[in-house]
Amino acid sequence: MIRGLAGLALFALAVAGGGWGHALAQVALVATWALAGLGLVLVVGQTGQLSLGHGAMLALGAYVQAGLVAAGLPALLALPVAAAAGAALGLLASLPGRRLGGLAFGMSTLAFALIVEELLVRLAPWTGGAAGQVVPAFTVGPWRLSSPVAQAALSVAVLTLAWLACRRLIGSALGRAWRASRDNEAAAMAIGVDVGAVRQAAFVAGGALGALAGALSAHWLGYLSPEQFGLGLSFELLMMVFVGGVRTPSGALLGGVVMVALPQLIAIARGALPVLGGGAAGLEVLLFGAVLVVIVLARPAGLAGDGR
Amino acid sequence: MRRLLTALIALAVQFAPPLHAAAPGVTENRIRIATIQDLSGPIAMLGAPIRDGIVMRLDEENERGGVHGRRLAIAVEDSGYDPKKAILATRRLLGSGEVFAFLGNLGTPVVMATMPLIVDAGLPHLFPFSPHQATYAPTHPLKYQLFAPYRDYMDAAVRYMLQEKGYRRVGLLYQDDDYGLEVMRGVEAGLASQGLELVERTGYKRGATDYASQIARLRAAGCDLVVLATVVRETVAAMREARKVGWAVDMLVTASGYSAQTHELGGEAVEGLYGVSVMPHPYADAAEGDLYDWIQRYRTRYDADPNVWSAMGYDVADTFIQGLRAAGRDLDAASFSAALGQLKTTPGFLGGPTYQFSPDDHLGNRRGRMARIVSGRWQLVSDYLD
Repeated sequence: MIRGLAGLALFALAVAGGGWGHALAQVALVATWALAGLGLVLVVGQTGQLSLGHGAMLALGAYVQAGLVAAGLPALLALPVAAAAGAALGLLASLPGRRLGGLAFGMSTLAFALIVEELLVRLAPWTGGAAGQVVPAFTVGPWRLSSPVAQAALSVAVLTLAWLACRRLIGSALGRAWRASRDNEAAAMAIGVDVGAVRQAAFVAGGALGALAGALSAHWLGYLSPEQFGLGLSFELLMMVFVGGVRTPSGALLGGVVMVALPQLIAIARGALPVLGGGAAGLEVLLFGAVLVVIVLARPAGLAGDGR
Repeated sequence: MRRLLTALIALAVQFAPPLHAAAPGVTENRIRIATIQDLSGPIAMLGAPIRDGIVMRLDEENERGGVHGRRLAIAVEDSGYDPKKAILATRRLLGSGEVFAFLGNLGTPVVMATMPLIVDAGLPHLFPFSPHQATYAPTHPLKYQLFAPYRDYMDAAVRYMLQEKGYRRVGLLYQDDDYGLEVMRGVEAGLASQGLELVERTGYKRGATDYASQIARLRAAGCDLVVLATVVRETVAAMREARKVGWAVDMLVTASGYSAQTHELGGEAVEGLYGVSVMPHPYADAAEGDLYDWIQRYRTRYDADPNVWSAMGYDVADTFIQGLRAAGRDLDAASFSAALGQLKTTPGFLGGPTYQFSPDDHLGNRRGRMARIVSGRWQLVSDYLD
């Protein structure tokens, strides 16, 4: 209830500070980022695996979507294909987990992300290489979703569906197996949980969600280049879910709000209060960093966590 | 009841658009524009001087009374090179309805993500710092560009080196990305015009520090000129490596390596290096007249020496102002675009090129100049090349 009101207040602030277009564009990006965050909630929060390469899932989703749409497939039909590609990539990324655990496995996901970024450059005939490629607007039949309201509506719709699916997964036997393998691997194995398989399942679901987010963001940003999918993105996503609360889906949403909306609030405040130093470079980054530190100190389990 | 009605009418009048709705951002006595820079991301060292140059030129115009009686104001947004942030900043500025045009936005991902929004909203998208062709071609009434793709500059530069200096065996060291490929295409075009081909080409990953194998390969191919599609640090490292192994080959670097940092960092090793200059570096101790005054004003204002990016920012704002003057007092996007489409600028004391647009060519300049490092500083050695 309080969170809902806070969200409404934030939205009202965004409308007041930059108009409807700005506020709705934020909603679209928050929802898209939260979608990517959901994937990390499953992999990192529920299953306890360190994934340093989630950006690769977004990259694949974005490029598959862009490629299919350019080839003439309707964007709505391309979305599930992009998600399936992400699921396959998630499976691939999880394979070293059969042998490696903990930090070593985390490093393998990092290497995985580097390989994917490199491939995007090398496979220039399909990806446009380092020069990048332009992505057309998302079209549904005769409608071109280029307005912020349409983009927000689609993003929220996809997020809602993914959210429901996640809740279901988390509440299912698979979800319990995820948490069992996270909390005590040996005990989970003792009660007959195939730890390797359930971890792979988390990566498959996480990959699909990441690719969905990538596919949508490709349309919202309109231009893809490999540099956008570097390690920076993977770390940004990880930071997002830790700030929001890595163990529950609402953490992904809260994290998305913080990562997307907070810098905007700071920019608006800076414009309204020249005292903050109108042109000082780096001020926004400084404030953003300070707020993140405060959040992490005050709520170590994230905004959606239980405060401990 | 009547009082309530009066209050409501007063409120409505307050918020209703004026009868003669002028262009967004343009009022009786002010023009407000916007720029999206990188002030905190990976290319902030470009963004900050560009912003400073732009703001300085606008303020100078204001001190002289503005353009056609209107003062110039600018909103500076920091994207941190993140297209997501850039889109939100653009939406916010568009939503305010108080921006006439976007000027000198920085960074290809940022420019490519925001340009469609800006143009769809009917605002001019002017002179972005991105070599992407989509910024001026195909011709669009609201898109104008000052800076050509690397290909155009390098094509002319290589032809000059072949014709004037008689080089025959040209090799290329290139950064393995879009920048390197653009340069490669330009070099190949220049060579093809003389019936030649690259005798060797070798790449490196962005951020590499060791160029021993690349230099050995270029040397083995017997190059008499090595073209460097590098930025500052790599330029210095590559040239040092060549000199270290005793190879005194001549080298030519793109406009990305044309920076005072190149000789500051490289010292002896980069002596004799050729470079392509689009905008001459403003050296303080050699400056005279207007340029000297400008450097002093810049130093006083920002407590830093201007560099080539400050000069480009200043030039971008100056070209915008020349466009505003030509458009006249009756200003909107259409009248401005029409005026810009016929504009031929007068180059200022910074020594930049003449920018000329036509209704079907919105790229203002394709020409660079040759420069060479002599006694530890860049000296121009040719006029603008055709």
